[in-house]
Amino acid sequence: MSSVMGKEPRNRIELLQGTLDMLILRTLQMGPAHGHQIAKHIQRTSDELLQVEHGSLYPALHRLERKELIQAKWEPAGKDLKREFKYYRLTPAGRKHLRAEESRWKLMSEAIARILWPATET
Amino acid sequence: MRWWRRKQKDDDLKRELQAHLELEEAEHREAGLSADEAQFAARRALGNRTRIQEDVRQVWGWTWLEALLTDLRVGIRRLKKSPGFALASVITLGLGIGAGTAVFTLVNSVLLEPLVYRESDRLMVAWEHVRFLGGDAVGPNPRHVDLWARRAKAVTGFASFSQGVRAVSPEGQATQIAGTVVCTPNLFDLLEVRPLLGRTFRAGEGARGEPATAVLTHAAWQSWFGGRADILGRTIRVEEAPVEVVGILPPEFQFPNANALRAFPSGQPKSGVREPAIFRPVQFNYGAMEWNGNYGNWVTLTRLRNGVTAAAAEAELNTVQGQVLGEMPAGQIGKQPGELRASLRPMQDVMVGDARSGLWLLMASVGGLLLLACLNLANAQLGRALSGSRDTALRAALGAARLRLLSSALAESLILAGTGGLLGVGLAAAGLAAFQRYAPVDLPRLSEVHLNGKVLLFSLLMTLAACLLAGLLPALRTLKTDPHSAMQQGSARTHGSRSSHAARSWLIGFQVFGCTALLLVTGLFVRSLVHLLNQDKGFETAHVAVAELRLPPKYYQKEADRVAIIDSLLQGLRALPDVESAAYMSAMPLEGESWVEFAGRPDRPEQKGPMVNARWVSAGYFETTRQRLLAGRFFEERDRGRDVAILSEGEAAALWGQEDPIGGQVKLLGKTFHVIGVVADSKSASLKTAPVRMAYVQYTYRTPANMLFVVRAREAASAVVPAMRAIVQQRTPDIAVARIKTLDAQLRDSLARERFQTFVLSAFGAAALALAMVGIYSVLSYAVAARRQEIGVRMALGARRTSIYRLTVEVASRPVLSGLLAGVIASVAGRRLVENSLFGTKAIDPALVAAVVLLFLAAATLAAFLPARRAACIDPMEALRPE
Repeated sequence: MSSVMGKEPRNRIELLQGTLDMLILRTLQMGPAHGHQIAKHIQRTSDELLQVEHGSLYPALHRLERKELIQAKWEPAGKDLKREFKYYRLTPAGRKHLRAEESRWKLMSEAIARILWPATET
Repeated sequence: MRWWRRKQKDDDLKRELQAHLELEEAEHREAGLSADEAQFAARRALGNRTRIQEDVRQVWGWTWLEALLTDLRVGIRRLKKSPGFALASVITLGLGIGAGTAVFTLVNSVLLEPLVYRESDRLMVAWEHVRFLGGDAVGPNPRHVDLWARRAKAVTGFASFSQGVRAVSPEGQATQIAGTVVCTPNLFDLLEVRPLLGRTFRAGEGARGEPATAVLTHAAWQSWFGGRADILGRTIRVEEAPVEVVGILPPEFQFPNANALRAFPSGQPKSGVREPAIFRPVQFNYGAMEWNGNYGNWVTLTRLRNGVTAAAAEAELNTVQGQVLGEMPAGQIGKQPGELRASLRPMQDVMVGDARSGLWLLMASVGGLLLLACLNLANAQLGRALSGSRDTALRAALGAARLRLLSSALAESLILAGTGGLLGVGLAAAGLAAFQRYAPVDLPRLSEVHLNGKVLLFSLLMTLAACLLAGLLPALRTLKTDPHSAMQQGSARTHGSRSSHAARSWLIGFQVFGCTALLLVTGLFVRSLVHLLNQDKGFETAHVAVAELRLPPKYYQKEADRVAIIDSLLQGLRALPDVESAAYMSAMPLEGESWVEFAGRPDRPEQKGPMVNARWVSAGYFETTRQRLLAGRFFEERDRGRDVAILSEGEAAALWGQEDPIGGQVKLLGKTFHVIGVVADSKSASLKTAPVRMAYVQYTYRTPANMLFVVRAREAASAVVPAMRAIVQQRTPDIAVARIKTLDAQLRDSLARERFQTFVLSAFGAAALALAMVGIYSVLSYAVAARRQEIGVRMALGARRTSIYRLTVEVASRPVLSGLLAGVIASVAGRRLVENSLFGTKAIDPALVAAVVLLFLAAATLAAFLPARRAACIDPMEALRPE
């Protein structure tokens, strides 16, 4: 295990608990996507800073589906009609949940920032 | 989500993960990795696929159910390997839970469920206490009740009734004996019962000269009229008189039978009465009623007003009783305060009466029995769990969660207890149906007994408790198994670890304790019953038959008619070839006190007259019942019409003390009688109380309407019963036979409750003893098997057989002896629970304790013998050979 860890970039950030759900929802806001796309998107848009462990993605997706925040459907991928992927999309409830989470997250990160760097505030 | 869609969802997930891998792999290939490297990189990026699947399944839920199902499957597989054990456990638990369910159904229906009437907790039975009658609670004088009803504000009113049996002929049907209730018209208003059809009684109904009316129960309507709709206005004949049916009661209506509510609470149950079928109104003419008398003829009910406590209502009634005492005409009763009192008791408590302690005792013993069965099972499970401990250890070593191990260890017990519980509920339902049909014991509210949700919940709880009791201890022990040592060592040596041995000792101790306590209680009840049956009754029951007839009302008018009937029947009965003697009597033996009167000596008017039971008999009565003459002589034919009386020993002593009563005079029943004889005290009123005082007079004076005959047969009493019935039908075809039976049967019926209780407790006691023996046997067998090598070594080193025997027996002796001691102590401590149900038997009986201890030691020795013998026969060579 440790040898594998050693090969990974040092400056990647481990995800806080619960934030993965929000990131998934945010990714799906731009349109339906399958698991692999979601993983890649999170990785890419965070400039490879956030490393999504693919393994933890799927339980999260199924949890969100169970909460009816997202919906899943097998659909052919773009041009290649022979291959089907399981596409996830936001439900109205998921959209609402995301908005609430976003504002909550914003408040929290501001609050934390204020405590950690009080000088910049004054 | 539906769990049966699991398979599909699982495939779905696999496909989704596979797609992910393929995409990732393609990406890596595009980045220039070789096929193998790309595949490896993709897999590494995804992580442990099985783990992901497990995690996702966890999200879906149902994993616990799946795990449980797996555990159950494994449990069933393991049980299949030892079908004998499984079958024995299921039957034991089934019987235990069945008995528990059945007894709890009785407890629930009789003691816990409220009566069927609206707000029945406000219904009270009102009693009067009259100092010169001894102060015991008796049914109140209606004239006093009338004043209570007018002045008491705490209650809504009073309704009185009396129960009996009457010869009834519904239209076009044969005459039959039916239970009847005569009640004040407001009874149904007080109970808040609405009729199904027609009406109940109106105020003033039942007065003399008014048309006779009746209300029928639903059951009577169904059986006599097939539930026909045009029932209202039809007539039935009750003792020849036409009575119009004005109403039908709803099917759920229940009324206590006369056994349950009695005007003399201490009286014996009457075995001749049935569930009431007919209600008829009576209107009291209070002005013409006695001021001081008429006690104990009516049962009086009342309903507390909302928010009023029974104590407050009782206090108010006693205030009114003080006024009643003041308003009573002079010379009737002493005028000191407290001469007349009143009391209220909840109707349900009165109805249940002394069945309460018996039922709770039954519940306690059945609970104890179930506990014993569970302990046995725990014991057996402990052995099985240990033999499977390597398996558990392996699983623990491979990282199984403790909770999963616990649940799989409990699964077996759950299967056994669940199956046993189902079996038990089935058995209980069947048993209760039979119990209600054959009614081996006269239980109040018997017709209300039914299995319901509450009972089923209780059975479920019992089942779960059984599962935990039987399985938790072994399951927890498997958790303690240290995987390292369990895996490393051979099985034979690890078995007898010290803590498992301690656990078994405790189980045995508890079993012996429960069994001893149960056996001691059973022994007390057996002794009590034997005492009731074998005590000196003062009369003999063998070869004697009794008959009770119901006179139609036309015989109520003239005494001479009744005398003629008695004479005619006596003549017929005495002429029967198998009959040695026959006599008339006015009260059925063993059905309690009746016709209680004052008796006094005319030459000692200042002497306070004791109460006495007046009995009318014919010549030959004492010879037929074989009562002992102490002085003077019995009645003879020449005494017919003469004012002579025979007193019981107790009555004679109360009036004359040491003097000779023969030739003295006694004032009784409004007349002065000459005492011609004294008979020994007898328990003819009840076997369960001290002999009551009796005064016997000739049936030719104020001949009662009670028609009872007693016959002594030359051979078996049952042989003359048909001939007696024939004589009655032949000589008096218009008189209904209420019952004819042997006096032995009457005696058995009067002890039905004691006999039933003793029978059930004996069965429980025997079962407990058997369970304890099995427990001791299995523990010792196990101990011997586990210490085989040790014993082999000892024998090889020269140990004698006797010392091996001792070694084995020592394993069990300490728990058995401490269990015995604890059981004896518990029975001494808990004696109050049973004291009231015992007759002529002390709750602490050293001889009984000794007998039970000996019985138990004998049983334990028997159980220990086989394993000990097996140990002594171990061949050292074989035992020491390596596995």
